Amino acid sequence: MATSLWATRAASFLRINVPCRGFATGSDVPICYLALYCYEIAAAFIDWFLKDLKYADSHEWVRVEGKSATVGITDHAQDHLGEVVYVELPEEGSKVERGASFGAVESVKATSDVNSPVSGKVVEVNTKLSDSPGLVNTSPYKDGWIIKVELEDDSDLPCLMDPERYTKFCEEEDASH
Amino acid sequence: MILPLNPNLSSIPHLSTQTPSKFTCIHHRCCATPSLSLTPSHSRRCDFYDLHNELVPYAEAWRWQKSIVEEKKALSEKDEDLAESLIILQHQPVYTLGAGSSDEFLKFDLNDAPFDLYQTERGGEVTYHGPGQLVMYPIMNLRHHKMDLHWYLRALEEVVIRAISSAFDIEASRVAGLTGVWVGNEKLAAIGIKISRWITYHGLALNVTTDLMPFQRIVPCGINDRQVGSIKGILQSQGNKEEDDDDDSELIDISCKSLVTHFCEVFQVDLCESYTKMGLDKSKLC
Repeated sequence: MATSLWATRAASFLRINVPCRGFATGSDVPICYLALYCYEIAAAFIDWFLKDLKYADSHEWVRVEGKSATVGITDHAQDHLGEVVYVELPEEGSKVERGASFGAVESVKATSDVNSPVSGKVVEVNTKLSDSPGLVNTSPYKDGWIIKVELEDDSDLPCLMDPERYTKFCEEEDASH
Repeated sequence: MILPLNPNLSSIPHLSTQTPSKFTCIHHRCCATPSLSLTPSHSRRCDFYDLHNELVPYAEAWRWQKSIVEEKKALSEKDEDLAESLIILQHQPVYTLGAGSSDEFLKFDLNDAPFDLYQTERGGEVTYHGPGQLVMYPIMNLRHHKMDLHWYLRALEEVVIRAISSAFDIEASRVAGLTGVWVGNEKLAAIGIKISRWITYHGLALNVTTDLMPFQRIVPCGINDRQVGSIKGILQSQGNKEEDDDDDSELIDISCKSLVTHFCEVFQVDLCESYTKMGLDKSKLC
């Protein structure tokens, strides 16, 4: 269930259109299966790419590599926000705390806090977002990353959700509203 | 010059989480409404701070909102339910910028601004607030309504559209892609909000009898090719109002009442009026 949801998002992520199996004609069949094959490959790739991420209930993701963490907002968050027109970035060298706001994203006349899933020191901010805030929409897990953090310790990580749990969390949240 | 918010400027009113027995509660039983209203399972209580005839300094109101927001966030984390809040007031003349505002939309030197200028954390570009303009600051926990920014913005627009339709028979509308409330090419109400942990603040500003000249020193909301209007101006152009300043306060009162009534309808809340003199330092009001 979770993988199929991610696969759907993967297709969207890679801008892959999949023709509906039920309406494939004779001449379309090879193309249909090729497209499906590409779709499945892409889904598996995205699954692999995203599986190491952890998620906060405020819809931020974090990728931890050793003592370093990269933070952004999730595809679910950017989808609900709409077009992001401004990203407020913290200062490099500033401290962040798990659960506390470190910046904001603006869309549709509304600014929303971005909260840090981890505690530590900001060592790099994505300055590309100043000129291209829309990267948060088009590439939330890659080019739309927001900050890199030097972790204080890894004690925050058990509090975060894995991909399956986060997917379920999003489904429950959407269903309740 | 962009003014910082001075934390030492004045006291912040303490807002009790419980309704004191000495306060008079005004309950507005709301009718179920279609489209933007949620299926009403129950109405939430909303503490109402009616300052619609007061000119409140912007910095005071800003600090006040943030103190309410922090209180709500703390209680929300403990799953303790808290009423919504609605503040309605007027401001002394002031320009405000949103978090990502560009100063290219200012037609004056920052160091020689005609009025105070504040850089805020809300969405949207530069706008003007001043006497004759009703400003509503709903402070709502969207977890109790709909966790959807777009819904909230459309709901705020709906409040204004219904209010000026029912009070003045003025047909206002939305313009796709341009948040706010419009009558033809004129924007009557501007909207800009901030959300923190699903608690909203900042809000909307409706020009009732506002002097619109200060808008000419800015590109309001960054929109070059449209104008700003007011309820008074619309009524005069329709021939429904003579030039008469004595009626201005009546227009403000009617507008306020209609806004509040339709706010209750759209957001399914029951108002509980709180007396601000118990908290806000009145000497800071004009």
